[in-house]
Amino acid sequence: MNGPMTRALLAVGLALAVAFALMCAISAEPVQALRQLLTGALPEPHWSADTGWTLRRLTRFGAVIEKTITLTLLGLAVMFGFRARQFSIGADGQFFLSALAAVAVSVWLPPLGGLELLLAGAAAVAVGFVWGLLPGLLKAEFDANEIVTTLMLNVVAVQAFRYIVTHGFNDPAAGFLVTPTVPAGATLAAIVPRTQISAFVLAVPLATLAAAWLLRRTTLGYEIRVVGDAPAFARQAGLPVKRAVALSMALGGAFAGLAGLHASNALLHRLPADLQPGIGFEGLVVALLARNQPAAVPVAALLYAFLEAGAQAMERSTDVSREMVLVIQALIVLFVVAERLWPAGWVRRKAAI
Amino acid sequence: MNLDTALWTAALFAALLRATAPVLLAALGGLVSERAGVVNVALEGLMLIAAFFGVMGSAWAAAAWPGVPVVWQAAAGAGLGLLAAVALALLLGFFHLELGADLIVTGIGINMLAAGLSVFLMVLWTGDKGSTAHLASLALPSLPLPGLDGWPLLAAFANGDSGRGHHVLVWLALLAVPAVYGLLQRTRLGLRLRAVGEDAEAAAAAGLSVKRLQYTALACSGLLAGLGGLYLSMGYLVLFQADMTAGRGFLALAAVFLGARRPLGTAAAALLFGAAAVLAAQLGARALPSQLVYMLPPLVTLLALVAFKLQARARRRRRAAAALAAWRTTSTTNSA
Repeated sequence: MNGPMTRALLAVGLALAVAFALMCAISAEPVQALRQLLTGALPEPHWSADTGWTLRRLTRFGAVIEKTITLTLLGLAVMFGFRARQFSIGADGQFFLSALAAVAVSVWLPPLGGLELLLAGAAAVAVGFVWGLLPGLLKAEFDANEIVTTLMLNVVAVQAFRYIVTHGFNDPAAGFLVTPTVPAGATLAAIVPRTQISAFVLAVPLATLAAAWLLRRTTLGYEIRVVGDAPAFARQAGLPVKRAVALSMALGGAFAGLAGLHASNALLHRLPADLQPGIGFEGLVVALLARNQPAAVPVAALLYAFLEAGAQAMERSTDVSREMVLVIQALIVLFVVAERLWPAGWVRRKAAI
Repeated sequence: MNLDTALWTAALFAALLRATAPVLLAALGGLVSERAGVVNVALEGLMLIAAFFGVMGSAWAAAAWPGVPVVWQAAAGAGLGLLAAVALALLLGFFHLELGADLIVTGIGINMLAAGLSVFLMVLWTGDKGSTAHLASLALPSLPLPGLDGWPLLAAFANGDSGRGHHVLVWLALLAVPAVYGLLQRTRLGLRLRAVGEDAEAAAAAGLSVKRLQYTALACSGLLAGLGGLYLSMGYLVLFQADMTAGRGFLALAAVFLGARRPLGTAAAALLFGAAAVLAAQLGARALPSQLVYMLPPLVTLLALVAFKLQARARRRRRAAAALAAWRTTSTTNSA
């Protein structure tokens, strides 16, 4: 009941139960809808006399893994701020600007035999770091509410992205507003047929380990955790609170930068001017779902991506729209953050009877 | 001032009021809960859910009671919207006060719930995903001030350049400033709310019911944020769009902090945001790239946050210096 894992499973189960009750109320085929939601993302083994056993729906499952990579990195990004009790929701802006930086570096550099990919990654991480440091400094130096500043900086970043792609950095031959394409030498090739899954999938364990190491084994990580768990103690003990606050958000930005690199150099290869914002908020859900534990972030990301793909399958084959999954996600967050599942007074009253 | 300039200024003034009203209403709601010690991060979601249920409610009312005057049908819809916002605000309170959930994270969760639920129910009830453009929903009316026929200049400002008057919720937003000021500063309830926000334990020791007061404050913020949301879907536009609040709830939260947690300061901050939005629209009309124009309100907010903090710091330093100087003079007179 009290283990974080059990708690998270309970929250997911409860949210799915509420969702199923909703489906029963609105749908003619609630059981089919739930089945699609839970299994629609899986590849389907298929047997035929000609080809033997093959896996169908690989593209769909590939999308789940691709999304898991992105969300793991963004979840880790949000987690760093949250561990210092900084509710920074700036991952969106960091993601946009660092993806753009990665494309720009990839396009401008001459072929360097794979080195350009590293440089593009460095640019993406640096841009994410700086765009995360900005609200961090605003909070540390000017006590500016980080929820407000990161939201404002998101708008600035997305509009700057659109301005740059619209008025300069675009491919006139493309027929629509889009950045030039990343040259083949700077891209990551897919390693699973019919998907975009690349070697970047290794970033999931590596980034998770790096985040856990940073938090658990470094002085800065210790400071971030103390500032988050016991701010008054941190101040009294003379810890560099301001530095921890600012760097927690900046480190988060660096991880968001990796997500940007994944989007630009592995998934999309060129960025349209009307790239939709909002992915940062999905990273926030993942961080909350993982209760800010680095090791739990990839699991939460997988669950999120899995439910999302399932919801699309559900919408295609039943009468329940995929927006149902938004409600489920919100319910999961609410149930995960609740300390208990019924008011404390009720238990006492029952015990008294 | 000739009449043409006056009309142009009046049009600008009306645009300023239109841009300010939703943020102002939500910000005043955020102020009430913030002063009671329960910061409401969910203003955005509360606005959104009220905007949605207002539209749905007015369409349902129009279908169910065709003989009733349109104003009453719209009012019924608005009532449903407010009810939904207050219910969601109380849900936020329930998770925080009863289930011990972190207030800020729960607020974020409530925002997600509102965003998801509004789109999910919109698809379910109207079949459309983007907006309720195909639904015949109603607007709340505009109210002109009567008796200004002899003063065209005054009429232009009081009733807008069109002369039809300002939207009823614009008037309400203007009235809400003194109302919230009065509530917080001049009533027993306001005193208690502030006492709970200042020091919940001391307030509890003094015999106040902290939980009930915080629920009350959250309900108030739901009501005011709901009014702000209704203005968007039953005034500014007459339909509901997915995510139509577009960050105004967060701007409202920014206004509370920018306004140093005071009613007049909050109102001034909301007005500043409104002015930034109007300026952006005016510059947009002069063929500046739209992306640069959209950057203006957030940049103004960021600069204002920093500027106000610097000003407060300077004021504090001046006060400390004055206190020190006063102490020095008294201590020298004492020793002399």
